[in-house]
Amino acid sequence: MTTPDFELEGVVHLVRPAFLEATDLESLRAGIAASDDETLFLHALQCRLRLPAAHEHPPDDFSAWVNGVVQDRETAERLLFAAQRRGGTAEALRASLLGVLETVPEKARRARTAPAEATFIFLAAESVRVPTGVVVSTADALFAALGEADASVWFYHFIERPWFDGQAPAPATWLRAIGEGRTAAWLEEAAAAGLPIEMLRRQVLARWRRRHLGRRVADLAARSDDQRRDVGHEAVTRLVRRLKQGGGRS
Amino acid sequence: MSRVVVDRSGPSLLDGYRSVVGEGPIRILESLARRLRGKRMVMVNSTSTGGGVAEILHRLVRLLEELGVPTTWEVIPGDATFHAITKTIHNTLHGAPGRLTEADEAYYFEMNRQAAAELDIDGDLVIIHDPQPAALVLQRRNPNQRWVWRCHIDLSHADPETWGFLSPLVSMYDTAIFSHAAFARPLPVPTVLAPPSIDPLSDKNRELDAAECDALLAPHGLPARRPWVTQISRFDRLKDPVGVVDAFALARAQEDAHLVLAGGSADDDPEGAEVLAEVRDRAEGMRDVSILALPPDAHLTINALQRRSAVVVQKSLREGFALTVSEALWKRRAVIASAVGGIPLQVLHERTGMLVRSIEGCAYQMTRLLRAPDVRRRLGAAGRDHVRDNFLHTREARDYLAVFVRLLERREVHTA
Repeated sequence: MTTPDFELEGVVHLVRPAFLEATDLESLRAGIAASDDETLFLHALQCRLRLPAAHEHPPDDFSAWVNGVVQDRETAERLLFAAQRRGGTAEALRASLLGVLETVPEKARRARTAPAEATFIFLAAESVRVPTGVVVSTADALFAALGEADASVWFYHFIERPWFDGQAPAPATWLRAIGEGRTAAWLEEAAAAGLPIEMLRRQVLARWRRRHLGRRVADLAARSDDQRRDVGHEAVTRLVRRLKQGGGRS
Repeated sequence: MSRVVVDRSGPSLLDGYRSVVGEGPIRILESLARRLRGKRMVMVNSTSTGGGVAEILHRLVRLLEELGVPTTWEVIPGDATFHAITKTIHNTLHGAPGRLTEADEAYYFEMNRQAAAELDIDGDLVIIHDPQPAALVLQRRNPNQRWVWRCHIDLSHADPETWGFLSPLVSMYDTAIFSHAAFARPLPVPTVLAPPSIDPLSDKNRELDAAECDALLAPHGLPARRPWVTQISRFDRLKDPVGVVDAFALARAQEDAHLVLAGGSADDDPEGAEVLAEVRDRAEGMRDVSILALPPDAHLTINALQRRSAVVVQKSLREGFALTVSEALWKRRAVIASAVGGIPLQVLHERTGMLVRSIEGCAYQMTRLLRAPDVRRRLGAAGRDHVRDNFLHTREARDYLAVFVRLLERREVHTA
């Protein structure tokens, strides 16, 4: 049986109000306890898609609010760490966030109230999958397509679906199915590192290029000067296009 | 004529946006638009000129057309009585005093009924903007159509009677879209949030070179060699311009700078004139403060002011979405702003700007940023990226397309 080709998919999140608010750490704790998975996802993970080009890990919404509005720096730091811990399910994430907030004494949780205009509003994300029409049948084609793909494609395949499904990223599963087990393993590992999206993109593509450098040099050595010139010209064109499109992303 | 003719002259909008956001987000727009092929969209609002809604519709309608989704834009007709009634609806939804009489309500329904006969509202998707044409939904003729109510108004302080009048109408739509969670009201229909956005190709936001900035700013006589701290807002107490002067006075004692407060001329706004006088009074004797009363079409001047500022402040006490913040971030400025309304979505504390809660906090951040050009550059670069990814028209168009795709696919599931 042959393995079907792989289609890259992006995602758009429709954000919905959950009609639940927090005004201090205690109501934040109660809200997190009552939130569904789509709400936790939006506030703790989707922030990575909102800041794909960040050099540092983008803050989750909970810690950003505690830091910027409640201005309790220590709790904000601990929430940030809890939200960034890898490999968790929604339930583990919820428990981790609640664990941080519950170590703050209840009286202190109620001590600092946000101004009326700066309450934390719980939201939920509904995902609309966006098949891109880009279909690949080899590992080379996959990495070439990922190099050109929108940040939402990386987010959907490497962050969102693995978190909701508790499974390996779909591109890694597909690579395994076509006999690229080693590539699949390091791709999975890179995705699990929790990097900002553009950093993940750069690391994955650089590693892929490094792995194939020897093979590409050997291939090119066997070609004519004209062919090598054409390949060089194409590579420079691609680089210029990427620099133009990426703006300040690098 | 009820149909608006959108200007399609000049270079392609898609190409313009592509040059700003890159290929990836445009491909997502194209992928979503492909799923809407064969469907027709109709936008309806109350005016084709003036105001943010008309501004974005001019762009959006053309963008959707370029993406291959046939879209038309209708404006609900109305006489002076209708406009007076819808003005009352608008103002009371914002929390201002006022009341609709039974006769007003009947007139509103009648004008919407007459408009439905006149307007071409037979698209697959009908998107109604704001309350003026909201009652058109009563004239829905085809059960396969999908109707969306797009509310650009902050309903958080809405008068209960007016909302009580409007909400049964809104409940007849398939989806309601609000700009911010705080502006939304619970409804029995799905509610989606789509923050407003700025246009990177508009006069207010397009790139300006140094010579253009110099020419635009020369008439205002601002000191060229000192760093500017700027707040651009109408002269309104909720924007706290007096608080900005106080914060600047504290910061100025430690660091050399010049404060620029720029806003509308307030000629037709008695409260604005009063606040402007208060600000002038507070700044009296301060040689480092310039107060500029600008005409409403001074978009290029505002653009140049923001670009030339070292720090941009938005020290509001209460806000709507405050897109002036995104405008400043887009120009890579370091921003200090209050954590109110939609500002915390745009300013992520210490990442894309600084959030403050007090005059002293504002003064501290002014001093800090004036002394640290590297921090300003870091915040400015992150702010630009944040706006590019989240607060440009391309993102708002993407949100609309995703809502429409979801609505139509749901219909196809239901009717399969």
